[in-house]
Amino acid sequence: MSKNHLQQFIDSAGRVGAEVRQMADLQEAVAYISEKAGGTTLVPATSLTARHDLHNLLRAAGIAVFADDFRQAGHFVAAGVTFANFCLADSGTVVLESTAEAIRLATTLPEKHFILIDPASILADNLAAAGPLRALHSSGEAKFIAYITGPSRTADIERVLTIGCHGPREVHLLLVSGIAHDIMEN
Amino acid sequence: MAGAAEYRKSVETAIANPKLSKALHLFGDAYLIARENAFRGLDFEAMRSELAEIKDEVRVRRRELMAEFIKNAEAAGSKVFLARDVKEANDYVIALAKEKGARLIAKSKSMVSEEAHLNRALAEHGIRAAETDLGEWIVQLAGQRPSHMVMPAIHMFKEEVAELFSKEAGKTLAPEIKALVNHARERLRREYFAADIGLTGANFLVAETGGIGLVTNEGNARLCATLPKVHVVFAGIHKLVRSIEDAIKITMLLPRNATGQLLTSYVTWIRGAIPTAGVEKEQHIVLIDGGREALYESSACRDALRCIQCGACANVCPVYQTVGGHVFGSIYISAIGIILTAFYEGLDKAREITRACIGCRSCVTVCPAKIDLEEIILHLRNEVTREYGMGIIKNVAFKAVMKNRGLFHSMVRTAAKLQGAITHRHRQEAERRVIRHLPLHFMAKDLTEWRDLPAIAPRSFRDTFATIQQKVGKPIYRVGFFVGCGADFVYPEVGVSLIKVLNALGVEVVFPKNQNCCGIPALYSGDSETGIYLAQQSVAAFSEAEIDYVLAICPTCTMAVKRDFVDRLADQPQWSAKAVALAAKTMDASAFLENVLGASAKLPAGAQAGAVTYHDSCHLKRGSNVWKEPRALLGSAGYQLTEMKNSDRCCGFGGTYSFLSHPQIARQITTDKVVTIQSTGAKTVATDCPGCMIMLKGAVGKADESIRCVHTMELLAESLENRRE
Repeated sequence: MSKNHLQQFIDSAGRVGAEVRQMADLQEAVAYISEKAGGTTLVPATSLTARHDLHNLLRAAGIAVFADDFRQAGHFVAAGVTFANFCLADSGTVVLESTAEAIRLATTLPEKHFILIDPASILADNLAAAGPLRALHSSGEAKFIAYITGPSRTADIERVLTIGCHGPREVHLLLVSGIAHDIMEN
Repeated sequence: MAGAAEYRKSVETAIANPKLSKALHLFGDAYLIARENAFRGLDFEAMRSELAEIKDEVRVRRRELMAEFIKNAEAAGSKVFLARDVKEANDYVIALAKEKGARLIAKSKSMVSEEAHLNRALAEHGIRAAETDLGEWIVQLAGQRPSHMVMPAIHMFKEEVAELFSKEAGKTLAPEIKALVNHARERLRREYFAADIGLTGANFLVAETGGIGLVTNEGNARLCATLPKVHVVFAGIHKLVRSIEDAIKITMLLPRNATGQLLTSYVTWIRGAIPTAGVEKEQHIVLIDGGREALYESSACRDALRCIQCGACANVCPVYQTVGGHVFGSIYISAIGIILTAFYEGLDKAREITRACIGCRSCVTVCPAKIDLEEIILHLRNEVTREYGMGIIKNVAFKAVMKNRGLFHSMVRTAAKLQGAITHRHRQEAERRVIRHLPLHFMAKDLTEWRDLPAIAPRSFRDTFATIQQKVGKPIYRVGFFVGCGADFVYPEVGVSLIKVLNALGVEVVFPKNQNCCGIPALYSGDSETGIYLAQQSVAAFSEAEIDYVLAICPTCTMAVKRDFVDRLADQPQWSAKAVALAAKTMDASAFLENVLGASAKLPAGAQAGAVTYHDSCHLKRGSNVWKEPRALLGSAGYQLTEMKNSDRCCGFGGTYSFLSHPQIARQITTDKVVTIQSTGAKTVATDCPGCMIMLKGAVGKADESIRCVHTMELLAESLENRRE
């Protein structure tokens, strides 16, 4: 990843309404989330959340991390926190392997979605995603891969751009160096 | 015939409601800017050529690729069902719902489910379909169908939406967009949780993985695919692509071309039956033919299946902008809608809308799959004419009169003498040679209430040519002049101007007398038989002449010679080589002057000659890619160009379109053009097309007599004369 990709990613994501922040470390990102989460927060258990002990970090910062099956959290949830697999600089897109239902619920139901990104995972452009996508499909098993580019939007009433139709109203991209080493995991 | 009467009425109703047309115009203008920004730094032409190649290869290899898709999908736990028609597809979903005891299906956007009338079929079995795409939900509540492929409720206003939502909610909601969207968010969240089945469409089916792709903005498709225990994918078989790379290329074109976004908020790649908490998830993929195989087999029309459903052909269409998608379309709307309606619903259903295309080729320019929509529509119009006829006026005009050159031209001469009573006899100059009123009052609404009609010139160009003295010592070129009917019988002065300009540059003009109409009016009306006959007459006339180039001052004639003569005569060995040779040396006069002669540099710089605004004729800009040339020529002649807004938007002429088939739509399109001309403040509007001149002279003349409408050749000739004085 070059510096240019990072800047292009920040610019592209910003243009589509994502909030992009470069964080010194995970602790700073957690503080940012705790300030903004605003209530029940879904944090799916993944290999990266386990490695960083994210649930406990968030709880320690006072965040109401939901412990039960996410379907029991209600139709509307305040926040979701996930890692990213990789990102696409040209369109400001975050790619998230979402086959586990908990990841899908944590990224579709909440008002705010916080995504922890290692800047090293930013790829140049959409075409560069072909290799990683193929690798993610290599097992032959069922797979759900989500591209997320900014918040949910619609222009279905009078063509007026309106944010927060069915998905998260806010998307916060928190860039923290060194938090991931393999774009196949999240 | 009830269909035609109903259709006429729908056109009139749409035109009587300018609010919709105004909104669609605003959208169209904003769209062009957003689209341009989205493609900045990318090579749209290369991208669309590549997509066309991908889709063409998929067409050829479709059986093999479909088998690969199914094998991979099934390996990941999907159940795949191939439905020959929409009924089989609906029946499959109904049977599945019954098996699961399902009462509610949460749907995200699926055009093929509209095509199948799935919701109605489900309702007949007591199964409720909840549309969750905001636009689709609005349209469902209103009991309507989508009027745009990407924005289903683009025809509605917030007040109407508030009324629908209020009625459904049993409480009054204010017509405030943010609040209405919020209401939909809250209200529809219940449906995903309560639904037994979630149904989505698919933007692509990837053979390599057996997965599907969804390109969306709202996030409802993700919820529909996630929360219910069963996921049904409803997709047309033409959504198939070979590989992940193919799919990525679609995602790079689709949002940019649909809404001017680099990417939609969500692109979702789903393969197989993904896990759902506590129970085993099922995924059923219903692949629907429904007329697509027949379309694949039609060599004239099959490019239409390259379509990725971006809706751009509607966004730029002047007819769509005037009457909206409920008039100009069926399930699918606008240019692509005409073609898909003919194949999916039947030619009869497409009969009226096939004629509603004005032929401006705007859609062809923006299509991301490089579909020549206009050409396919012309082919279908031909089919409609063969099946249902084209009406008595055109039958007599084309078949009995125009094919007979001698009769046609002597009838025009007679008509020129008879029209005295209705033109302005006391005004001699060519510019006032117009018909202001028609004696038949009932025709006035369509024909003269809003524009002057051109009168036939007292002496045609063909009768004038012999009297012109060409003073060219040693000509550098001899060019044949393809005059075209507009310049021959209505504006012969344009041809005279052309000769002046060419002579001044050392070019001699030859006029083969046996040339006839280019045949486009007949061809565009679906009469290819007359078209072929007329092509032969002109090919013969020009093949005999000793000339270096053939010039036209009507871009529709140029297109006819270059494209249609070749196509029309391709299967006739005695004609085809001659047609190809003629096409190779034919071009528009402006293109010849600038690109062959370098006229703007050669001619002495003109004195200040006043402000001119320029109207790009559809067939010159999009048919021949000529638009810089006339501007360079006018600039060198001393005219100051003041660009009008949307200078390349159709003027509304469309030949017989504005006289016979759709005068009311043409009127509205022309009115828009007149407003943009007036707002430049220029008192002269130049164009390179006699057809546009008929429309603009007529409508501008009625709106503001101080604005003059002329052909570029006339201004160039005037400037030459001024320099001599």
